[in-house]
Amino acid sequence: MAEVFLKLENIKKSFGGVQALKGVDLEIKKGEILCLAGQNGCGKSTLIKVISGAHEQTSGDYYLEGKKVEHLKPIDAIKAGIQVIYQDFAVFPNLTVAENIAMNNSLMTGTKVMNWKNSRELALKAMEMVGAHMDPDILVERLTVANKQMVAICRAIINDAKFLILDEPTTALTKKEVENLFEIVRGLKKKGIAIMIVNHKLDEIYEIADRLTIIRNGEYVSSGDISEYDRARFIRDLTGHDIVEETYHPEKSQEEILKVENLSRQGAFENVSFTINKGDVIGVTGLLGSGRSEIGDALFGIAPADSGKVTLKGKEIQIKSIEDAIKNRIAYVPEDRLTQGLFLDRSIRDNMVAASINKYFHGGKLDFKAIADDTAKWIKEVSVKTENDLVPIRTLSGGNAQKVVIAKWLNTDPELIVLNGPTVGVDIGSKSEIFDILHDLANKGVGVVVITDDLSELVQNCNKIVVMRNGKAVAYLDQAEKHVEENEVYDIFSKEGGEE
Amino acid sequence: MKQNNKMKEILTSNQMIIVYIIVALSCAIGMKNPAFADFSTIITLSRALLVTLIFAICEMVVIISGGIDVSFPAVACAALYIPVVVMKEHDMNSALLAFVMAAGIGLIVGIINGFLIAVLKLPPLIATLGVSSIVSGMVLTFFGTNEISRMPKAIKGLGEVFLFTYTNKNDITYSMTVFIIVPIVLCIAVHLILKYTMLGRGIYAIGGDKNAARIAGFNVVRLQFIVYIFSGVFAGIAGMIYCILCSSANPLNLMGSEMMVIAAVVIGGTRITGGHGGVIGTVLGVVLIALIQNNLIMLGVPAYWQTFVVGAVIIVGTAITSLKAKAIANSPKV
Amino acid sequence: MKKRVLSVLLGVAMVSSLVVGCGSSSSDSSSDDAAAEETEESGDGYKIIVVPKMTNLAWFERMEYGVDQVKDAYAEKGITVEYGGSAEGDGQAEYVEGLIGQGYDAICVVPFDVEALDPILKKAQDEGIKVICHEASTVENMDYDVEAFDTREYGAHLMEKLAELTGGEGEYIQTVGALTSVSHVEEAEGGKTYADENCPGLKMATDLIISDDNADTAYSKVKEALTANPNINAIQCAAMSETPGAARAVKELGLSGKVHIAGTSLVSVCGEYVEDGTVELMSFWDPALAGQAMIELAIATLDGTAAEDIALTTPGYEELTLDGKVFTGSAWIDVDASNVNDEAYDF
Repeated sequence: MAEVFLKLENIKKSFGGVQALKGVDLEIKKGEILCLAGQNGCGKSTLIKVISGAHEQTSGDYYLEGKKVEHLKPIDAIKAGIQVIYQDFAVFPNLTVAENIAMNNSLMTGTKVMNWKNSRELALKAMEMVGAHMDPDILVERLTVANKQMVAICRAIINDAKFLILDEPTTALTKKEVENLFEIVRGLKKKGIAIMIVNHKLDEIYEIADRLTIIRNGEYVSSGDISEYDRARFIRDLTGHDIVEETYHPEKSQEEILKVENLSRQGAFENVSFTINKGDVIGVTGLLGSGRSEIGDALFGIAPADSGKVTLKGKEIQIKSIEDAIKNRIAYVPEDRLTQGLFLDRSIRDNMVAASINKYFHGGKLDFKAIADDTAKWIKEVSVKTENDLVPIRTLSGGNAQKVVIAKWLNTDPELIVLNGPTVGVDIGSKSEIFDILHDLANKGVGVVVITDDLSELVQNCNKIVVMRNGKAVAYLDQAEKHVEENEVYDIFSKEGGEE
Repeated sequence: MKQNNKMKEILTSNQMIIVYIIVALSCAIGMKNPAFADFSTIITLSRALLVTLIFAICEMVVIISGGIDVSFPAVACAALYIPVVVMKEHDMNSALLAFVMAAGIGLIVGIINGFLIAVLKLPPLIATLGVSSIVSGMVLTFFGTNEISRMPKAIKGLGEVFLFTYTNKNDITYSMTVFIIVPIVLCIAVHLILKYTMLGRGIYAIGGDKNAARIAGFNVVRLQFIVYIFSGVFAGIAGMIYCILCSSANPLNLMGSEMMVIAAVVIGGTRITGGHGGVIGTVLGVVLIALIQNNLIMLGVPAYWQTFVVGAVIIVGTAITSLKAKAIANSPKV
Repeated sequence: MKKRVLSVLLGVAMVSSLVVGCGSSSSDSSSDDAAAEETEESGDGYKIIVVPKMTNLAWFERMEYGVDQVKDAYAEKGITVEYGGSAEGDGQAEYVEGLIGQGYDAICVVPFDVEALDPILKKAQDEGIKVICHEASTVENMDYDVEAFDTREYGAHLMEKLAELTGGEGEYIQTVGALTSVSHVEEAEGGKTYADENCPGLKMATDLIISDDNADTAYSKVKEALTANPNINAIQCAAMSETPGAARAVKELGLSGKVHIAGTSLVSVCGEYVEDGTVELMSFWDPALAGQAMIELAIATLDGTAAEDIALTTPGYEELTLDGKVFTGSAWIDVDASNVNDEAYDF
């Protein structure tokens, strides 16, 4: 039985009147990989901050290697070997790999002089330990996300890490990169380092974790060996209720909503055709660069198609610009909602009406009452969890923010809504709520196009699937004809071309 | 292969492109007017870019740290004018005192800038713009606006101290002012500090990502204070040097020079968004701008076109920097 | 831009509260009384302002001094005379615009940038304000312009001296504050015309050199021109700050005595270079007298007595020739090593 590195008992933490943690237990042993799972806003970040000394718990006990610790400061945590790798990695894009890796070490020793040779050696040593391969003299801004993460891991290792916390490390990584990361994490585990990974992607958890701890709404739910959890228990513990996983089957309808014929844009995609009937949710999938996102961009006029025919509700339309798209009541939820879809510092209310503000102009004045009423309606409709509609978007969890983006577009009464990666960074509970909304829309006669690379959500929620490869639509699948499996889709789009 | 790539990277780097432009331009001027191809050009150019170079080094450090300082012309004006007015009024005659007062004025403004930016977290552009107005306004209000031509003797005398003189074949003598030492020493010192001390690396770090710097354990507030104080003090000293070289104290002549200085810094490869840049690039940027500004007559550019030509070079120079940055951002990641 | 506006405002506030005088000139006391006499029968309550190109130049400091000299005498007659302007030339148009609607009967202005100022002067005239200019014969919207002398003749006068010093052989350069500075350009043209007509051996070396009215810029550019072309042996400077700038360049390059300088400046600004012989002719007209002449002409215009045969009492402006709207006197003063220490010129 390996030695316990960290033990938390009944940790509570409140900010003002709000109780963020309501009694959490956690235990991690040396050379063990623990996954911490919980939906967005469940208190994971607060828990990490308590562990790393950034926040002190209101009550509860904190044991490090069997010894009770009180008033832990961040620097004490670092000295004890606790290293957190944040989602944004906190690396310096303008400095070299070597300097990034060695910098914390220099700061810890309090040296005033920068020793380039030492830094380089230190960096190479760290990379060797971790098993990463990078040019130590290259600037970090030129690295892929995965390699930036490697830099952060190397930097943590060099500081004699005994306990490594990775906060949602796989969010921005490709499948291959995730595998590589897990390889490295397993290597570190063998060196006796305790590792905690915050994650809510079920498949990944099964692949990497030894044990699992689940928290919900700041409360401790369960802990145990990964083998004790099947899919159903995991989802029940995570969300508090059972989620029925079944495929979406709309009622058959002949009412045609959208018809796309031979849509092409040079260098992006060619001859893509599909039809949406009432009730259909169509999924467009493929690898990065396969042309899947570009189809969304073409439908919304961001990068218009060169040729092809688009018929919306029986009328042929030209989409040459975003204005055209909006005029034809097309809505678009972009891939990167943080920078493209939302004004982060403005309130929910402001964001909710941002795409439909003209509706509220009456005689040169804004109808504030109507704005407030509509906002309240949508908050209820898409169930955004918030105390009021005046809080800035920044304070919302990923799932809630995504619901606001969707509601913002629904408020324009669209006839067609295109969503690119609608559930990236959204937890399981919110995910299914978002798709419930989309299914509902489809049944009301709105065309829904979902662009995604999340295969499980694709096969569960889309009844028609277009698979893209190298700019061509290589398969059209219809769930009504034959049930589509995840592997089937993966096989189609990863054939030949592969990742590159 | 790897070696080749490195070589290629160096040859197409920002600095090298500026070097090519400088060489090409020098050839063009030299062909048009053989008088350019003479040692005297170096002396003339040194004198012309000396003050700008000090300003540019200050500005570069501030920009690397992720900020910007547009208050240095006002600081320089205050630092050259106030000491001269005060010394004339009290019949004092000490060059050392003049420089101490100039540096002191820069120090005070630097502390104010640092406080506004590091502690109150005002955007640097707004903070330094405001401070610039206040400083300039105070000088004009309390010390006057008239150009002073009759300078205290000790100050005036320093303007005629030369390191060496050179006589060309036309029997024209060119004298290298002793003040050229100031930017040379400053450049070397700043280069070493930026590259080989944790203080310098910290300035790059906060320019790259302030939050990451804080997490890593840098004292961000302290670093910002250091940067703005450094900029203020040396802007003050540069102002006094300018005054001595002109042998007159004008409280407004330097106003408006910030754009040219920032342009020189950016041309030298310092990214306006912070975190990137170095002394060598900045020196090249300043040389390029000085070369253009001071050789249009040699090139025979008509008077009406001179402003246009300077503007064109600035646009081309800064475009290279931003296109390079963009190319890096869009290049495939490794 | 904001910054500049603020500094201009502060500068204005400061100028109106500061009285800077330096030395006194014997010629002024006479004009003092004369001015008072002249206005005896004029209407009361005129409010007149004198606006310089910029306030932070010794040249216009002297103009301010001249205005101050006659201020009290006019005040006794019930005429208010003021002096004010922006610290930098760029702010002048804005400053003048601010004067409209403040109850001024006449604005006497030395335009910095004619193109920028002209439409504003039109506005002033539309409001019934009389406009008197100086150093700007091309302004359209004015009542009269008064010139100390014909600028072309003045330019020719400087070139005549340079021709004499060089023996009519060699190459010359001319500096001007800005290409929009009409009197500077005319001065240079006058010099060039003289050289072209009288000295076939004296040629223009290069295009006009623009100094931005900045001594340091004049220094650098003159230095560059001298390096570029060793045949240059004469420099004609139009702006006051250029003459010492050019002199410093010539002296530093060891060319004193080989390169001759004749230009506009003041003893306080350029006296040392006249003393040591680097500048061989320094001419100027007394801005104090020019200021006084503008005021006198403004009053005459308001009274309706301004006409071709008008004789002002200000020295140098007793006999005026009128061409269109431009009155021209003959008020230049030459200074060289022989009279540079004359107290009368010490300003």
